[in-house]
Amino acid sequence: MKMKFHNSVLVATFFAATWFAATIVRAQQNAAGHASDFSSAEYYDAPHAQQMKSRISGAEASPQPGGLLDIKKLKLEEFGVDGRLEAVAEAPECVYDSMNGLANSPDHLQMQTGDGNLSVEGEGFLWRQTNHWLTISNHVQTVIKGVMESKTGL
Amino acid sequence: MKKIYLIAFLALAGAWIVRGQTNVASTNAVSTNTVAEILALVTTNTPAPAPPQPPSPKTNAPTKIDSDSADFDMNGHQAIYHGNVRVDSPQMKLTCAQLTVNLPPAGGHIQHIVAETNVVIDATDEKGGTNHVTCDKAVYDYKVQESMTNEPITLTGNPQVVNAQGTNTADEIIWDRATGHVWEKNPHMVSSPNVDIGKTDTNSPASGANNPPMPKLF
Repeated sequence: MKMKFHNSVLVATFFAATWFAATIVRAQQNAAGHASDFSSAEYYDAPHAQQMKSRISGAEASPQPGGLLDIKKLKLEEFGVDGRLEAVAEAPECVYDSMNGLANSPDHLQMQTGDGNLSVEGEGFLWRQTNHWLTISNHVQTVIKGVMESKTGL
Repeated sequence: MKKIYLIAFLALAGAWIVRGQTNVASTNAVSTNTVAEILALVTTNTPAPAPPQPPSPKTNAPTKIDSDSADFDMNGHQAIYHGNVRVDSPQMKLTCAQLTVNLPPAGGHIQHIVAETNVVIDATDEKGGTNHVTCDKAVYDYKVQESMTNEPITLTGNPQVVNAQGTNTADEIIWDRATGHVWEKNPHMVSSPNVDIGKTDTNSPASGANNPPMPKLF
């Protein structure tokens, strides 16, 4: 009888430990699925293979069905071969298809060139990472500073 | 000995500061400071700079482009605006269905713009005269060759320019923004000036090459 008691304690302890371990694993999976400080970069071909061409980043990235990522506080950056920032675009949120290199959102997007001479904003966008093509779908507003001036004034 | 060096140093420093102030304010040509006057005499070997012109609000104001949608080719450095395109600059207003802008390198000048389909331009010249331009396509180019700047705007597709001098139409109208000159290829019609009949003090607009300067559009 005493032996049976010990066995039942052992079995209960085993199941408790198993449940506890499973809980820990699940928590780790949740933590791994909801990443913070997401970033994905693309580099130039040789001989500039060390130079970043574009980077998509976000404060948070959550996996969605179909291999998609829901990115919060999106930031898209384009760099020249010399490392100079050519353009940066920001949006509060987007869905990123890393397999096809597509990012899209119905949200507001702001973009600015590296020299600050051109700024654009609009509603809804699609970013094609493969050919570095950004489409803004609605209400596009652009401001260009200083690049249309002529020596003679007008 | 140290005091002498200190005094000499302070004198030199004071003169340098005063000269710097004089260069900035030399156009006022009024100074009660003896050192400044002497230094001003020294610096008058070079021509005095022209009085600084107040920045023209026309050239400093930004250009705004609104449209229904737009594509930005980051590789090709090109922006393509689609649908109800409206360009608003201090010098002119432009509307069209599609506008393509070749984006310049950082800090550069825009070198190529194409406005297509139902292009309407309303520009005001330096004298306040209005110019109403319509065409199917307007192409702006910016080129600097041998220190000469050319900024031709080529209007094609039934181009028409209406201003106080009359109405110009041609197969092609080229308007150089840098010089203000206009050329017309095969002008179809040069209408009478938009003034009262009988008024003789208004010249009709010339046609063909070497026309008198016209207001600049962009």
